[in-house]
Amino acid sequence: MSDGSEPSEPVVHGALMAGFAQACVNLNIVAGRRATALLADIDMGRWFPLAKWMEIEQMVGESYANVEPIRLKLGIEMMTLWYHRGPGKALIHRGADFLHFQTGSHGIASVIRGPRGMVGSFDLEDFDAERGHAVIRSSTPFDKTIERGVLIGGVMAPGDLYYVDVTNDGDPNRLVVEFH
Amino acid sequence: MTLDEILQGRDPDRLSELSREDMRRLFWMYKGLLKGVERDTAYWQATNDNLRTAYERLDEQERELARAYQTIRQDLEIAQQVQHALLPKDHPEMLARFEFSVYHKQMTEVGGDYYDFYRLRDGCHAIGVFDISGHGVSAALIMAYLKAQLVQTMEQVSRPRDIVEYLNNATVGFLREVRRYATVNFVAFGERTFRYVCGGGYGVLVRGDQVHTFNKGDPFIGLRRRAYSEYELPFETGDVLALYTDGLVEAQDSTGADYSTRRLHELVRANADLPANEILQRCLDDYGQFRRVDADDITLIVLRRRAA
Repeated sequence: MSDGSEPSEPVVHGALMAGFAQACVNLNIVAGRRATALLADIDMGRWFPLAKWMEIEQMVGESYANVEPIRLKLGIEMMTLWYHRGPGKALIHRGADFLHFQTGSHGIASVIRGPRGMVGSFDLEDFDAERGHAVIRSSTPFDKTIERGVLIGGVMAPGDLYYVDVTNDGDPNRLVVEFH
Repeated sequence: MTLDEILQGRDPDRLSELSREDMRRLFWMYKGLLKGVERDTAYWQATNDNLRTAYERLDEQERELARAYQTIRQDLEIAQQVQHALLPKDHPEMLARFEFSVYHKQMTEVGGDYYDFYRLRDGCHAIGVFDISGHGVSAALIMAYLKAQLVQTMEQVSRPRDIVEYLNNATVGFLREVRRYATVNFVAFGERTFRYVCGGGYGVLVRGDQVHTFNKGDPFIGLRRRAYSEYELPFETGDVLALYTDGLVEAQDSTGADYSTRRLHELVRANADLPANEILQRCLDDYGQFRRVDADDITLIVLRRRAA
């Protein structure tokens, strides 16, 4: 995946996979030998089939009877790692910046590639800094609760906001962000 | 008065002095904290639920494991009884000619040490001592297999060398396949002598002050097809023969030193005037004081020719 052409099957960048896997390990969703194997399998410089990501998502789902709070925390943890241990701090300086970053060409669009119909899109539909209100339309194949966690974690990570929440408002693909 | 100043102090009554903007900050700060607590509570509740489920699964697995363990224990007890039944018990013909005493201890319920008494086709009495590599059930099964092969072998040949060679040729293919082998010490008694074949086994003959250690240079059973050597030694009234396996002499004390053949042979020599059972007991007492822990199956047979 180095020639820039679109792959016929959706692929996810190793950096995103690594962040996801590391978050699973940090939250003890996987531990011991399974954790070591999970992390060892991921090369940050490679692209992985989306199916690999889905395998991990499925593993998380199968590990908990009440999985939604775990998924939310997983998304938050991923972006906490991205900001404090990864490149995040150099890329955004305020919480609200993350919404522009993540919906821009360097955000989600840069870490998942493949047929448009399968990788979907992640667009900022509405942004009002005064009201602390934004709306994102997401049709990515990722779990929507994890995606909510990613937005919460990314917006909170710089530490300049007191309140951040992301709700679905009845439509799982419409993510309503409130930030103050 | 700013919000930060109030939060750093201890005077909530001064909240009314805050500006509208600070009051707004305080509001979102409070809501943010509540939201954080709400998320964390949900997360920890889910984690706690998961932990409870995991413990329940663990309990069930523990019960299954206990049931499986019980089944294995019962199987092992039966295997122990079967193996015990394979060892010789009544041997009046041998007792009429020899005074002897046997110590046989498996490290686990079943093991790989095996000994037996035989009456050969030519009428001679004989003893075989075998030590199968490894321990436990697999070694015990090999022992049963060797015993069955020996029964067939005895019907074909009667010289110790022929018996061991025949046995080795009959079993080497299978033993190599299962990656096992066995030491062998096979002794056939004549009127005033005995002949022996020793492939990795241990034996010592004490005649007065003389100590004859068995030549154990032949190969173990199950390694390769080849001819075995047979040796003959005098064995008359009063002479003492001891046959044993490596579990005895390779046991270590707390410093890591081996019990050693030299120590055992000297003990047999020093007590050679005693009855066979007392010689054996002296050896076991000395061994018991020496070794830190049993590390292998042990067989020790002490034998003396009775007066004609």
